[in-house]
Amino acid sequence: MSKYALFLGCTTPVKVPQYELASRWVCEYFGIELIDVEEFTCCGINQVNLRVEAGLLMAAMNLALAEAKGLDILTLCAACTGALAEAIEKLKDETIRNSVNEKLRDSGLEYKGKTKVRHISRVLYEEIGTEKIKREIKKDLSALRVAPHYGCHYLRPKSAFENFEEPDNPRTLHGLISATGAQPVGYEALNLCCGGKVSPVSEDLSRALVQKKLDNLANKEVDAMVLQCQTCYLMYSDQQKEVNKEYGNQYNLPVILYPQLLGLALGANPVKDLALNLHNISPETILSKVI
Amino acid sequence: MDEVKKMVSTSELDPGFKSDVLAHPDARGLNACFSCGACSAGCPIHEVFPDYSPKKLAKMVRLGMKKEVLNSPYIWYCATCCNCVEHCPQNVKFFDILNVLKNMAAKGGYAPAAWVEQTKHVMETGIVFAQEDSWVKKREVLSLRPLKEYVDKMRKIVEKTGIDKIKPRVNSK
Repeated sequence: MSKYALFLGCTTPVKVPQYELASRWVCEYFGIELIDVEEFTCCGINQVNLRVEAGLLMAAMNLALAEAKGLDILTLCAACTGALAEAIEKLKDETIRNSVNEKLRDSGLEYKGKTKVRHISRVLYEEIGTEKIKREIKKDLSALRVAPHYGCHYLRPKSAFENFEEPDNPRTLHGLISATGAQPVGYEALNLCCGGKVSPVSEDLSRALVQKKLDNLANKEVDAMVLQCQTCYLMYSDQQKEVNKEYGNQYNLPVILYPQLLGLALGANPVKDLALNLHNISPETILSKVI
Repeated sequence: MDEVKKMVSTSELDPGFKSDVLAHPDARGLNACFSCGACSAGCPIHEVFPDYSPKKLAKMVRLGMKKEVLNSPYIWYCATCCNCVEHCPQNVKFFDILNVLKNMAAKGGYAPAAWVEQTKHVMETGIVFAQEDSWVKKREVLSLRPLKEYVDKMRKIVEKTGIDKIKPRVNSK
């Protein structure tokens, strides 16, 4: 089966390790081999704020590290996916690639343009496929109504992702959720950004975005939000209490990552394999509906 | 940002500003903008905070309002969702143009402390956070492999851009 360099990113391994644990479990289940590359660092997405060149160099360095092992990259974070995919786009330009490689050379690295990047959901959707996933389902999740949230950098800019999704009408996460047996619920604010990337500069703005989405979901009778990015997770889960305080809400909406939902459907142990006990907002209502 | 609400005074404009911005390959598309406002219409930040407007910022750059743009806290309010890029009928990549503006502002001493601080962490730990002991334990409990810090290579490469020398804006977050 397929083999990828696992790109953990900054936040997942230290703040949302349950996402890493569940992702490793799901990949192992489907025979997707994940190789840990210890020299991987931050993808550079936030460094473009201060120096575009620095962000590009960091992305290129990570791509070169995977390329030296002859591997494509599998990401968990939507933002890392976007940053690396955008860098790959830019580095198709020979002048830019040569100038970047000149700076990587001292460190014995070079990016030739071979290594590509794929988010775990895309790998599951394109390589495993929803039909195969459906055949593997062990538990009945049909009572679960969940709201998908894609993560901006999983979708945009479309040009960096070989047009595999239509950003204004995305389908892959809906399909992956349906494959588990759970029901993806439609809602108006589906494409609303979590605000994670503005939160270091303005928490007011990021919380305003979180509030809008939670408010939209309030009358949709959903059991949980299902996400595919740990930054979005931190915004909707950890910030939910803060938003409640600020806006006078009583929201208590569980938020989980897609590999956790898939793991539940495949019969994984909710604590040992998926670490569903580590969530701020108890996913007990989810577990009670898994038969 | 009060000054922006005043009338634009032509004597205070910098006619070379637009060319300086356009000199960066990432900002090349700016000339194609015809101010339709599709960028602002799809911008989630504009929706909750109307004073932030990609269309308005693009116009300000083209008018040469250098001081107002680079000194504005608003250029840092982008959530990076890239709706503006996706919705632009002229294929102007406002998100990339904004990064060019932020880079110019950072060079001029207007970088928000949050981003400067984060870069410092990246140079020290390889990730955007300072080291915390609690991570080690959290990962051990889950039997996840211990994290190692390999930052030397990255630091050596990234320092070449001078990003580590950028100072934060005084009296700002």
